[in-house]
Amino acid sequence: MSHAPLLKATGLDKAYGPTPALAGASFALRAGEVVAVMGPSGSGKSTLLHCLAGIVRPDAGTITYDGRELTALSDTARSSLRRTDFGFVFQFGQLVPELTCVENVALPLRLNGEKRKAAEARAVEWLARLEVDDTAAKRPGEISGGQGQRVAVARALVTAPRVIFADEPTGALDSLNGERVMRLLTDASRDTGAAVVLVTHEARVAAYSDREIVVRDGAVRDAEWVA
Amino acid sequence: MTLRTWVRDLALGARFAVTGGRTGRLRTLLTATGVGLGVTLLLLAAALPNMLFQREVRESLRAVDGSESIDSPRPDSFLHLGRATDYRGDVVSGLLLRPEGDRPTVPPGAKAFPARGEMLVSPALRELLDSPDGDLLAKRLPYKVAGTIGEAGLIGPAELRYVAHVGFLTTDNFDGRGVRYGWSVPEEPMNAFLILLVLVASVVLLVPVLVFIATAVRFGGEQRDRRLAALRLVGADTAMTRRIAAGESLAGALLGLLVGLGLFAVAREFAGTFTIWDVNAYPSDVVPMPALAVLVLVTVPVASVVVSLFALRGVVIEPLGVVRTSTPRRRRVWWRLLLTAAGVALLAPVIGGIELSQTGIDSTQIGVGVALALVGLTTLLPWLVEAVVKRLHAGPVAWQLAVRRLQLSSGTAARAVSGIVVAATGAIALQMLFQAMESDFTQGTGADSSRAQIAIGTHAKDGDEARAMIGRFERTEGVGDVIGVVSSSVWRPGPLKKGEEFAPMAPIRVGDCASLAEFATLPSCREGDVFVLLTHGAQGAPPDSWVTRTARPGVTVALGDPHPHPDAPESRRKGPPPEWRIPAGARFVDSRPDPTGMYEYGVLATPSAIGAARLDTPDATAMVRLDPAVPDAAEHVRNTAADIDPTAWVRTLEDTQQDAQFSSVRTGILVGSTLTMLLVAASLLVTTLEQLRDRKRLLSSLVAFGTRRSTLSWSVLWQTAVPMLLGLGLAVLGGLGLGFVLLSMTAQRVRDWWVFLPVTGIGLALIAAVTLLSMPLLWRLMRADGLRTE
Repeated sequence: MSHAPLLKATGLDKAYGPTPALAGASFALRAGEVVAVMGPSGSGKSTLLHCLAGIVRPDAGTITYDGRELTALSDTARSSLRRTDFGFVFQFGQLVPELTCVENVALPLRLNGEKRKAAEARAVEWLARLEVDDTAAKRPGEISGGQGQRVAVARALVTAPRVIFADEPTGALDSLNGERVMRLLTDASRDTGAAVVLVTHEARVAAYSDREIVVRDGAVRDAEWVA
Repeated sequence: MTLRTWVRDLALGARFAVTGGRTGRLRTLLTATGVGLGVTLLLLAAALPNMLFQREVRESLRAVDGSESIDSPRPDSFLHLGRATDYRGDVVSGLLLRPEGDRPTVPPGAKAFPARGEMLVSPALRELLDSPDGDLLAKRLPYKVAGTIGEAGLIGPAELRYVAHVGFLTTDNFDGRGVRYGWSVPEEPMNAFLILLVLVASVVLLVPVLVFIATAVRFGGEQRDRRLAALRLVGADTAMTRRIAAGESLAGALLGLLVGLGLFAVAREFAGTFTIWDVNAYPSDVVPMPALAVLVLVTVPVASVVVSLFALRGVVIEPLGVVRTSTPRRRRVWWRLLLTAAGVALLAPVIGGIELSQTGIDSTQIGVGVALALVGLTTLLPWLVEAVVKRLHAGPVAWQLAVRRLQLSSGTAARAVSGIVVAATGAIALQMLFQAMESDFTQGTGADSSRAQIAIGTHAKDGDEARAMIGRFERTEGVGDVIGVVSSSVWRPGPLKKGEEFAPMAPIRVGDCASLAEFATLPSCREGDVFVLLTHGAQGAPPDSWVTRTARPGVTVALGDPHPHPDAPESRRKGPPPEWRIPAGARFVDSRPDPTGMYEYGVLATPSAIGAARLDTPDATAMVRLDPAVPDAAEHVRNTAADIDPTAWVRTLEDTQQDAQFSSVRTGILVGSTLTMLLVAASLLVTTLEQLRDRKRLLSSLVAFGTRRSTLSWSVLWQTAVPMLLGLGLAVLGGLGLGFVLLSMTAQRVRDWWVFLPVTGIGLALIAAVTLLSMPLLWRLMRADGLRTE
């Protein structure tokens, strides 16, 4: 594992209207590292994740990814970066209900311009790795929540991203399914060398990480990388 | 299950609809707005018959009663003359009055009889006259405005009308003598073609409104499903949840009824402000027919409940979520075809059975037939969309997203588009009817507007005055050229022959060579020439012998009636009239249509051959060619005519004239189609926006992993376009088929099979418009806000 940060944020501020979500948050992530972002509900965990992933632009502060200033990039460039370098797993509402599971997993590849057949072939491989190959032809409405999350993890990993952002990936699952998803996610990311930013408020989920940080009132309280 | 259970559950659903938080209220408001718009249109349609009828009633009530002949002046009698004038494309109607006694009957809408030289004006005319736009018209109506005509004297608030007390009205230039107003004017019955048109149009315009209402009560279906799952969790059974769902729709529909009634009340108040189809009306005349109004008020809420229950039949609501039946039930085609076939079967017996002259046709059979055929086509669409999208393969990502969405839920898209199918099918069928019938209802007037654009005729005291009148038109601003003749008659002199009651006569026109050449094909013409003009029986003119028995080269004719009627004025009975000898060198010439399209006959003479001053009670006729470069040239000419003689006839020459009823039906249908199309587009847009809003989180998540805006935009376009194109295809086939059947009824042939192109164009424009208008919301939803959970 390299010691130079792959993704680094300094002094992030973000407010939604009059409500501050981040207030001077700083964060750093090494390549291949699994970091759990913890904190109480409403503390700013998800906002931090959205800023780090280039989904939301912070009001103040800087984010550097692989030497590039993320906040200076255009929306198009950030979208492109998310397609090629990042993967995402959310708590719910992320699989396109009308697409089959294999089509869902193949979607990021197709957005990157890959041919359908090739994309779906790779998608099937990932579905198998995540132990949900039997869901390939089914639609999300026809599978269980645990299976859906594993399909989502397959979709996050299929593009071989360098960073996976997971926002409460087990929040809608029972403990058994949650642990299975976490095991598969962390194993697969370690196999591929992807770093993971894992937002959770559950200690047992955070236990899968290499390092934990806590966000409280929009600020990161204990981060070894805070300058 | 008791009624009480139903009421309880419906009421519970209704309460959810209004207390369901911001989103719930927004959804209910959306439904109410959609239903409200539909209800407004239905109520307006229900009010239209009464509105048109009230105009007839008003027209009759203000007309001078002509049922009784008043031979001599009475204290309450008055002479009257109706005179309408065109002003910048609008008609200004006028009633000229001259009281004969000291107690003339006050005209409807007036408080008192206007004093001599004064006029009463409608509020719209007063407004026009008071504005700079009315300056030219004010010169034409040289009467002092003494008051306003009230509602009783007008057919609509926007009518331009005046009632003037004039001194020049006599029994020589009047329409009649009256003592009272108001009589029954017989209504001109519509012929079968027009009834057919109105019938088809009514069905075509109203069915999409019903479809729109049915779509509107299902807005927000997906969010509702989630809410219903929560109800199942707390113990509601399946039937109960469906009734609660129906209650939610019912609340929206009832609120929509209120919105509709409110909008109708507002539209009613503004009925006078807008003129559509040349019609505007007083609010008091815009009253829906009671039976139709009750039908609307009952049907809409009942339909909302039925539609909701029907929509939920393929949905299984479980306590932990809603499961749409994984393999949606295959749509059956047989009953959809049966509906269409039933419609055609009702229409089939009428094929070839309607005559143009017919004024009564079986409107129920045709109306139900057309409605069934249209509804049948509409129900075919969901089946067609399902059948086609099932076979579509995945292509680019945007296409794949759209196709898969349609495969999963084609019904929503098909429902939204079904309004288009009805409107477009009807529009195509109506266009075919119009094209076939246009020639039947458009007649050439025979006029040639390239030679003259306005014709004016007026009586003159004598020939010199007539010539002077023509001279005034020549000097009027904006006049390029004037064809001017002074006309009168010549009679055969001498005693009456056996069996004759009157002396034979022929018209005579005196004018310069250029003017005379507009009436006849002249081989040559010089000052002093005279011609005998023969029609050879063209256009129903009398036989040439009728002219030659009086006027031939070398014969002498009388310039006044040698045997005047005993009732003729004294001036015409003072001895034998002067005579004139038609020169022996006069030539016979052939008549040709004058600019008004008439074949004239008689004598044509240049001023050197006979002085116009010698003619008896001459008329001045001027046909004016306008200078297109001068604005308001026609208005200047009309002003000159009014100044010369307020009773002069002024005619605008147009090459063709369309049957007024046909024109108004056509205009009405165009207005209706436009409104319907807009409503359908609004429905489609709301459905698209609703779907987008339901997918807020999904869209945000798609954006999170880098989906381009353009990909999702194209996906929305395909989602709109695929069902729309299928709908248009169905409409083209259905429209051409229905048009063919309707034309066959009247034994007409199809003139143009390509009439569907404009309608298809409108459909494509709607696809583009709906997609473009949904973009702002799509882009807004593609922000990361949708990922926030707190």
